[in-house]
Amino acid sequence: MVDAVAQPPRNPGSIKRFIERYPFLPALVIMLVLLALNGLWQPRSVGLVGLTGLAKTYLALMLLAVAQTYVIYAGDIDLSVGAIVSLVNVVIVAFMSAMGGDTITVLAAMVIGLGVGLACGIVNGVVVAVFRLQAIVATFATSIFFTGLALWVMPVAGTPAPATFWRAYGGRILEVPFVFWAVVVLAIMLYLIARTRLAIQLLAVGDDVQGAYQSGLPVTAIRMRGYALCGLFAALAAFCITGDTASGDPLVGGKMTLFSVAAVVLGGSALAGGHGTVVGSVFGALIIGLINSLVYFVGTPSEWQNLVQGLAILIALVAGILIGRRARS
Amino acid sequence: MKKFALLALAGVASAAISTSAVFAADFKIGLSNGWVGSEWRTQMIDEAQAAAAAWSDRGHNVQVVVQSANVDVPGQIAHVRNFISEGVDAIIINPNSPTAFDPVFAQAKEAGILVISTDAEVSSPDAIYIGIDQTAWGAAGAEWLAEALGGEGKVVAINGVAGHPANEMRVAGYRSVFEQHPGIEVVNEVNANWDQAQGQQAMQNILATNPDINGVWVQDGMAAGAWRSIMDAGKADQIAATGEIRKDFIDLWTSENLNSGATVNPPGVMASALNVAVFMLEGRELKEPATAGQYGNAMYLPIPFISSENLAEAAAQVEGQPGHYSYTSVLSIDDAEALFE
Repeated sequence: MVDAVAQPPRNPGSIKRFIERYPFLPALVIMLVLLALNGLWQPRSVGLVGLTGLAKTYLALMLLAVAQTYVIYAGDIDLSVGAIVSLVNVVIVAFMSAMGGDTITVLAAMVIGLGVGLACGIVNGVVVAVFRLQAIVATFATSIFFTGLALWVMPVAGTPAPATFWRAYGGRILEVPFVFWAVVVLAIMLYLIARTRLAIQLLAVGDDVQGAYQSGLPVTAIRMRGYALCGLFAALAAFCITGDTASGDPLVGGKMTLFSVAAVVLGGSALAGGHGTVVGSVFGALIIGLINSLVYFVGTPSEWQNLVQGLAILIALVAGILIGRRARS
Repeated sequence: MKKFALLALAGVASAAISTSAVFAADFKIGLSNGWVGSEWRTQMIDEAQAAAAAWSDRGHNVQVVVQSANVDVPGQIAHVRNFISEGVDAIIINPNSPTAFDPVFAQAKEAGILVISTDAEVSSPDAIYIGIDQTAWGAAGAEWLAEALGGEGKVVAINGVAGHPANEMRVAGYRSVFEQHPGIEVVNEVNANWDQAQGQQAMQNILATNPDINGVWVQDGMAAGAWRSIMDAGKADQIAATGEIRKDFIDLWTSENLNSGATVNPPGVMASALNVAVFMLEGRELKEPATAGQYGNAMYLPIPFISSENLAEAAAQVEGQPGHYSYTSVLSIDDAEALFE
């Protein structure tokens, strides 16, 4: 009896409210379907080893999608996130290889890495929010600048990261793979950030800049903080890349930028800003990863793989929109 | 009687099974390609698939599974993880990064998978590299150019993507050669990102700022663009420049009688690697273990060179192919076998 009372009444209005409250639900459904399809075609891909591999490979993209979400909240975009990943990657690897690979150095390198990410985010915030340049073009320009810095720090890919760093990333704590712990910590962090005033302010700015300004919100400062947060999460993504690749590469993150934007949109956030969730972006990143694997596991001929991948991402986008719209109507 | 027939049948069947186990080994080889921006890569995959099919003449069933798409480094690491999930015998990869695959290749080796990189060297001690030496590739073009200029003159270089390992090795290759020729002066070096249009643009800029240059060292498809600018400027008879290996350019070279020479990076490298891989999967030992290169895990293949002397032969090989088809060479099964004990 108690259960029946606790259950929401079954009418369309409640599903509508449910989806509005949890806009990431369509993405979650699509992700679970893709996971099931992967398991159907290649059972080993959804075993413990397969899932650990999936998390190890795509944790970086999940974090980068989260980074991108915070600027997209405010209606901005950051096309330099991939370049920030590359820059942080080469800076921490260069630092660790110069100072030796002991635990203190690794921790110091991570602090430096977060500092670099934060600095890049602030640079983006200044050019976009203070100088009022168009975000899409301004961050494209800073991406070239950050890539140039990365190439200056490390002209050629190749310096190895110390073993303590990548053994930790690929290892286990209490018999549970490290990456799963990382996912749990990420979930807690996202929950805490979602409860801060900043998350709501960013959404308010994205929803209606004019209105936010007129109601007395410091719009410029809020957009800058969004970019700063984005830089920090891009640095975390760089740690994952460094853990999974065990080396420095000045071009490693370049191609991840647009995937991060795609993950955000797949996760149900609006590119125009004002509406979305970071959890959805995490699911969006996993959707991209699962699509890539599925396209191969079903036996797509190599010359069609790109085409099918693109189509599958489009279908996932349309499916997400349709689920959301039907539930809302 | 019936019993006897059944027994005989069983005997024949078991004999058939045991012979097939001895003579016709079945191998599954995964091919991973992380960039599909050029026809060269498509041809590389096609030639590798043809090479796998050719093993059936020897009673081997070599099955290839292919993952080829534009991916970032994590995406290509996912390729390798998919192959491990599927349980392939060997992975041949054209890697997007020289160093990023160390941990995942270690996992593959733990799973008993042979890992071979081709076209770009990798630092992993758990993999070997089978392909050309990019430094020697860069040096070969520079040597031809130095000779074509008689060891005297002003030279410019048009390079690929800064920071890309193959590009840096090629640059080191030509620099080491030009240093040995005191009469050769490198007046400018620019990056045109392996893009034909950017190569053409770069050459126009160079001709505007350095109208008195004698030679151009330029890589791959950018050479066709650079030569177009040289011809537009009416300087084709005054400048020697390296060329490239696609049919379109070989035809232009022949008809315009250009002063060119092309170092060949054959798309057949992956097929060559596949032929070596099958022998390794059979458990055969290499006569000379793969220990060359900066990472000590490389086995270098010969680098063909096209100059005006053998241009007609090259033109004959690509005759009847589409314009984007590259001149190629593959280590045949017999050539590969000669490398083993």
